Amino acid sequence: MRISTSLFANSFLSQMNQLQSQQMQLQNQATTGLKVSLPEDDPATMDQALNLQTQAAANTQYQSNITQLQNTATTAATAMNSLQTVIEQAGEIATDAGGVNSSTQLATYATQVGNLIQEALQAANTQDTQGNYIFGGTINNQPPFVATTDSNGNVTAVTYQGNTDESQTPIGAGQTVSAQVPGANTTGSGPSGLLADSRSGANLFSDLISLQQDLTSGNTTAIASTDSPNLTTDENHMVSSIAENGVLQSTLESASTTATQLGTSITTQTSNLTSADLATTLTKLDQTQTAYQAALQSGEMIMNLSILNFLQ
Amino acid sequence: MLGLFGTLNSAASSLAAQQEAMAVAGQNMANVNNPAYAREQAVVQNNMPIDTPAGEEGTGVGVVSITEVRDSLLDSQIQSENSVTGSYTAQQTALQNAEACLGEQLTNSGNSAASTGGLAEMLSNLFNSFSSMTTGTGDPATVVQAAQEVANQFNQVSASLSQARGNLNTSIQNDVASSNQDLSQIAALNQQMIVVQAAGGTANNLVDEREQTIENLAGMVNISTSAQPNGSVNITIGGVPMVTGGNAVDSLQTCDAGGGQLLIQDENSAAPLAVTGGSIGGNIAARDGALAGLQTSLDTLASQLITQVNNIYTAGCDSSGGTGQDFFTGTGASDIGVNSALVSDPSQFQASSAPGAGGNTQIALSLANLATQNIAALGGQTLTQSYAQTVSNLGAAIDTATGQLNTSQSIGATLANQRSSESGVSIDEEMTNLMQFQKAYEASAQLVATLNAMMETVIDMDNPIST
Repeated sequence: MRISTSLFANSFLSQMNQLQSQQMQLQNQATTGLKVSLPEDDPATMDQALNLQTQAAANTQYQSNITQLQNTATTAATAMNSLQTVIEQAGEIATDAGGVNSSTQLATYATQVGNLIQEALQAANTQDTQGNYIFGGTINNQPPFVATTDSNGNVTAVTYQGNTDESQTPIGAGQTVSAQVPGANTTGSGPSGLLADSRSGANLFSDLISLQQDLTSGNTTAIASTDSPNLTTDENHMVSSIAENGVLQSTLESASTTATQLGTSITTQTSNLTSADLATTLTKLDQTQTAYQAALQSGEMIMNLSILNFLQ
Repeated sequence: MLGLFGTLNSAASSLAAQQEAMAVAGQNMANVNNPAYAREQAVVQNNMPIDTPAGEEGTGVGVVSITEVRDSLLDSQIQSENSVTGSYTAQQTALQNAEACLGEQLTNSGNSAASTGGLAEMLSNLFNSFSSMTTGTGDPATVVQAAQEVANQFNQVSASLSQARGNLNTSIQNDVASSNQDLSQIAALNQQMIVVQAAGGTANNLVDEREQTIENLAGMVNISTSAQPNGSVNITIGGVPMVTGGNAVDSLQTCDAGGGQLLIQDENSAAPLAVTGGSIGGNIAARDGALAGLQTSLDTLASQLITQVNNIYTAGCDSSGGTGQDFFTGTGASDIGVNSALVSDPSQFQASSAPGAGGNTQIALSLANLATQNIAALGGQTLTQSYAQTVSNLGAAIDTATGQLNTSQSIGATLANQRSSESGVSIDEEMTNLMQFQKAYEASAQLVATLNAMMETVIDMDNPIST
């Protein structure tokens, strides 16, 4: 093949260009640590990477949701423990009142029960850090339990003005829980009411008020036959509510662990798809640079040589 | 018999011939770096011999023609390949611009590679903000902000793509103007060629110039050439004659087909021309193919987002019992926006499925679940999956164009090398030839000197040699 002067120069230039562009690509990979950065580099990997990115972000959101629910569950647990104490104390009073005849003593007990009712009201109307009432079902902007008092300042009735709905929160793919507990549920279906539930027969406030009234009127028979057993029912119901809260907290804990593991797994998958193996990249870069150097040197030798060097 | 004077003439003709040959070699060397130049050769032939009793006697030598070494088959192959390269270059550039408009690029942020600042991240943020509202402690201002970012990104990408489309149209118009200039120039060169050839000569530099112009034209639009016996080259585009002989009989025009589509027609018949090669063809293919597809995908995605979200949202109630408002306004990627009433007062976010229940976040939950819902209008994919596929499709189109461009450039380089090998100037060769001509010139000059001496001897013949 006949070689013209420009043939070699053009060929040399295009080889240089190729080597330089290879160098640039490898250098870029080494710097960013990624072998895929634009959609054109590897369309299929880009598709997967974007989907994994979305999954990772959703997973982070689940963890955030779980934290929020854990706060609510903890606040609820504290309130439930207070209510448990109230019920136990009321139960003791009811038992003790059975063997008491003195009306003064009974009156003292009645006052104590009155205090217990206030404590229970306070606990039942617990608010979270944002001021939402946590035991009103989905009605959280007003106290769920409202007391009507008589002229003596004694509570005569406590009404529940919340509802029995609960809102679900996503804590994992396809998994939702609710940290809400309605204060009372007399409908016979749905979530268990905290203080009153027609299925278990619990009705704390009504039982406490009844106890107080029986103590005031000195009706120890009713205390023994009605109030005491009712308070036992209330206590059993509260124990099961606390147990449910425990289950919720444990569910949240395990969902949190799952989310953490999933996050790690997604990171690993993404890394496998997109990361450039530094050792391989640097080796290839080294090879390309060697080739570039060799091309430059040999090009220089050949281009400097022509017949003109030898003619006088 | 030639005689002394005859031989002198013969030597003189040789001197002239060597000089001309050296001039041709000099011209070749001067044009060694001219890519459009095809090397010339001085064709040297015997002058007419005379008949003598002893046989034919030569009367010297002359340069009968200066011919170009050029392979017209290679030339036409290079023209075709120029069209292909021009087309794929234009497509690759246009699609890479679109990729930049989308702005999805993986970077190592945090502990994992992610594409930040693009629609994928913003859609993800939007659905996560809905999810945070389900805990009852979420801030609706965050939701509104996330939604505005999504809407803004859609608007921005849509506007960038429209602008890219406009730029392509401008490019096409510029190329059409350049093509018409080239066509006129080819016609003018044809006219000159016809005149020169009719006078019996050859015009090598005109051929070079015309070939270069044709190749330039081929890079912009696919053409067919046919060489005519009178020395001109006829050009047709899409079967329509553009240059016939020395006349530019037709030219290219752009016509607005509506919807931002600029197409090509020829001026005389105003009938549409199908341009399938060159940068014009490439720009049209990219504009009406991948770019238009991308714009449609984004519009569909935005439209589905608006519809699906609003369907769920309008049934929701806000904390003061208000209901029935839309979340998103607009119909597509260019005009999607967030309801301005909601923007100015985020507390109007309708998270609840029942009035008066501030802890009810059922609507927010349904909105959050939209992220993983398969939508029929998107081919059964979720919103994010559909977007990821759109990005991936664009990447695949660029990848294909790049692959085809590399192949075409490789073929083009091979053809160029072949042409250079055939028609390119080699300094070594010209220098060697130069030495040949120099030696021949010296020899002929020596002959002239010898004849001169002989003639002096003849003229001195009437002077006897003094003793």
